[in-house]
Amino acid sequence: MKPDKTLKTREMFAIVALFIGVKLSDTTATLYSQKVQNGFWLSVVVSLIIALPSFFILLHLLKLFKDKNLVELLEILLGKFIGKVVGFTIFLTSFGLLVLDSRNYVEEVKLLYFPESPTTSLYFIFIIVCILTAKRGLESIGSTSWIVLPFIKISMFLLAFLILKEIVWLRIFPIFGNGLDVVLTEGINKASIFSEFILLTIAYTSFRDTKFFRRGSYIGSSVVSLELVFFFLLYALVFDYNSIEKVAYPYHEVTQYVNLGNFFTNVETFFMVFWLSAAFLRFIIYLYLVAMVFGAVFNIKEHESLLLPLGLLTVSSGLLVENTVINELVYREKLLMYSTPLYVLLPYLLWIIKRLRRDLK
Amino acid sequence: MLRFLKNNLKNSSKEDNEKYPSIAKNLDKNVKQLNKMFSSDKNSDFASREFVAQYSNNKINIFYYSTIVNGDKLYTGIIQPLLENVGETLKNVVTLEAIEELSTYEDVIEHINSGYVIIFEDTLDKAFAIDVAQFQHRGIEKSQNESVIKGPKEAFTEALGVNVSLLRKRFHDKQLINESLKVGERSKLEVNLLYVEDLVNNDVLKDVKKRINDIKSDNVRNVEMLEQFLEERPYSIVPSILYTERPDKAATYIEDGYIVILMDNSSACLIVPINFWAFFQSPEDRYLRFLYGNFTRLIRFIAFFITVFISAIYIGVTNYHSEMIPPDLLLAITAARERVPFPLVFEVLLMEIAFELIREAGIRIPNPLGPTIGIVGALILGQAAVDANIISPIVVIIVALSGLTSFAVSDVSMNYSVRLSKYIFITASAWFGMFSLTGAFIVWISYLSSLKSFGVPFFSPVTPTYKSPGNNLFRKALKNEIWRPGNIKPKDIKKKQTE
Repeated sequence: MKPDKTLKTREMFAIVALFIGVKLSDTTATLYSQKVQNGFWLSVVVSLIIALPSFFILLHLLKLFKDKNLVELLEILLGKFIGKVVGFTIFLTSFGLLVLDSRNYVEEVKLLYFPESPTTSLYFIFIIVCILTAKRGLESIGSTSWIVLPFIKISMFLLAFLILKEIVWLRIFPIFGNGLDVVLTEGINKASIFSEFILLTIAYTSFRDTKFFRRGSYIGSSVVSLELVFFFLLYALVFDYNSIEKVAYPYHEVTQYVNLGNFFTNVETFFMVFWLSAAFLRFIIYLYLVAMVFGAVFNIKEHESLLLPLGLLTVSSGLLVENTVINELVYREKLLMYSTPLYVLLPYLLWIIKRLRRDLK
Repeated sequence: MLRFLKNNLKNSSKEDNEKYPSIAKNLDKNVKQLNKMFSSDKNSDFASREFVAQYSNNKINIFYYSTIVNGDKLYTGIIQPLLENVGETLKNVVTLEAIEELSTYEDVIEHINSGYVIIFEDTLDKAFAIDVAQFQHRGIEKSQNESVIKGPKEAFTEALGVNVSLLRKRFHDKQLINESLKVGERSKLEVNLLYVEDLVNNDVLKDVKKRINDIKSDNVRNVEMLEQFLEERPYSIVPSILYTERPDKAATYIEDGYIVILMDNSSACLIVPINFWAFFQSPEDRYLRFLYGNFTRLIRFIAFFITVFISAIYIGVTNYHSEMIPPDLLLAITAARERVPFPLVFEVLLMEIAFELIREAGIRIPNPLGPTIGIVGALILGQAAVDANIISPIVVIIVALSGLTSFAVSDVSMNYSVRLSKYIFITASAWFGMFSLTGAFIVWISYLSSLKSFGVPFFSPVTPTYKSPGNNLFRKALKNEIWRPGNIKPKDIKKKQTE
């Protein structure tokens, strides 16, 4: 008895919820709030409005071409060569974002909890855990995500509940922060924050039935979107106009605000544990998907053997950036901005090609 | 060279099989052969008797091991009828239940070893085997290691027939099959597979049989050893076969389409395939009412968590995240540790190992000495070590707690894997506090989730998802257990007709 493909809706949901959902607790909020200030939760809504339809169109296309993953779909629609080139571009941008983002997370852990430890050792441990876990395969990643997910979500919503007494509803104003135009441009520019949705489709055929992938994606993306907007709104209500742009890690800042009764007053480590599990899983999934894209582009069947080199490459390139501010506010922001057109427009382009080339079925 | 050796080996094994001549018609020849094979001049309990059968007036010779047969049965069932009764054939004369005809010496040897009486008759080139075995074994006793308050108390005992009877008593179904296989090259012992024919998954069954047949060992004495021959990952930290001494637990699994493996010489059975959750379940959870049973499960889960993590968390938090501890408590810990010269990790490890020593000694110690050593262990090691400033009282509490809670994981194998995991986590958290502890935890969980027991994922039916009775971490009300566990793919998934 060999159940080869065991992944179903709930694993997909867990993967989406962790892969994208952790964004509510990292520096994504900071990235938005730099220009938009407390209206940044609306920018996220804009980004989601831009990014989600492309994802759904891609899902629709994948449904038409049964049993094809992202790269195979690209090859069919764009031809072998251009398909590979686009696939490789997707790999490059995702890998770049993986490098910058992982450095970002490691710096976050270091700054908040291990100020005296060297980044290098933390980074190595982080990536080694990711490689070891990712090596066990997507089935195991999905199961692990599902097992850990409830604890992470409970801790997040416990935090949301505890912070409720700190919020002031009037801080929602000015409703558009620094102006509607800023909200819109920032939202559109950073839509590629959700490019990971597109990256997920490389695993389209790894599920027991592709309908589980679609169902998991729909449920996962809607839940995650609600969560993100809810938490970003919460940050806006806690930190207010102007001061919000100075908060580097809003989620962790919030954990410092909350108490569990009068006795447990410093519970940030409690929340940090769950946040860390989520962060680990996010990069495990990220690394695995990136390896999958690379494997698909270069026809490497054993893509799991790519994890070690890709992981070590992540560490070595991640350490190149001199500090976290430049990493976050220059490189990551630029990369996100430049890759937005690719991720947002690609699915539409594919869809148009599909309409034009009626010979394909 | 290798090939030559191989051929040589092949030939020699062939010779081994062909060494015995076929059974002769001449009784004297057979008797001589058998006496030679069993070294009857040295083997004191190898018995033979010669007499003339009443029904055919032929000479007859019977062979058996006097220590493993029932003497009364032998006399009233075989010898007396042969001496007195009249009839057509031997089968009509002997009144005992089953008489087998054997045609080779290999069969003869095997049957004598299993407690049969072998009858040779002059003029016949075959032998008759009659089961009069009486191996000695304990009676049925109370379950020692998996005790319950509410529920049956019987446990398996070291006799195959008794164990099968205990199972049949609990599950009356004509489809309950008791299939017998032989294991071992030199000493062939019987392995019984019990399963419900129209529920069990054939692939798993085939896999189990193949693994049993593939065992190339001279002797597999009992299920404890069989378990190690069957499992796919002998070096893994987690078990993949469930071991229980409770027939009611085994019966529950049989009902759901699992396979139970029994052997002589073991007061327990093996259950395959298995998942993670089963190791934490006690049959009592389902004998207790819904709420009580689930409360027990919750307690057990908390105990599991404490066993694995409490020492590691203590190290991680006090070494790296001391700001998390409320000030009063932190002061208390610091005051207690003030006079202890060792680093915290060393202190915890010292105490953990001391606890393991007490536990190991507790198992091996002769019964009359038990209480004495218990006092020495607990009082001297605990109280005196604290007084001598070798360890701080809080570490005693932490380690005692983790030691105590580890007993809630009652399965022997899982208990070990939990205790070993504890050391992994202690090492991890000594390194980078909660950061490396979380990392180790993720790696550990993902390792568990990638495991399979006979093709069944370890965390199923929770993830990957299958229809199931919902009897995992918690259980449903018995009325709502509609499905059999789908993760083992039984032939009939529906447990109860609802409509």
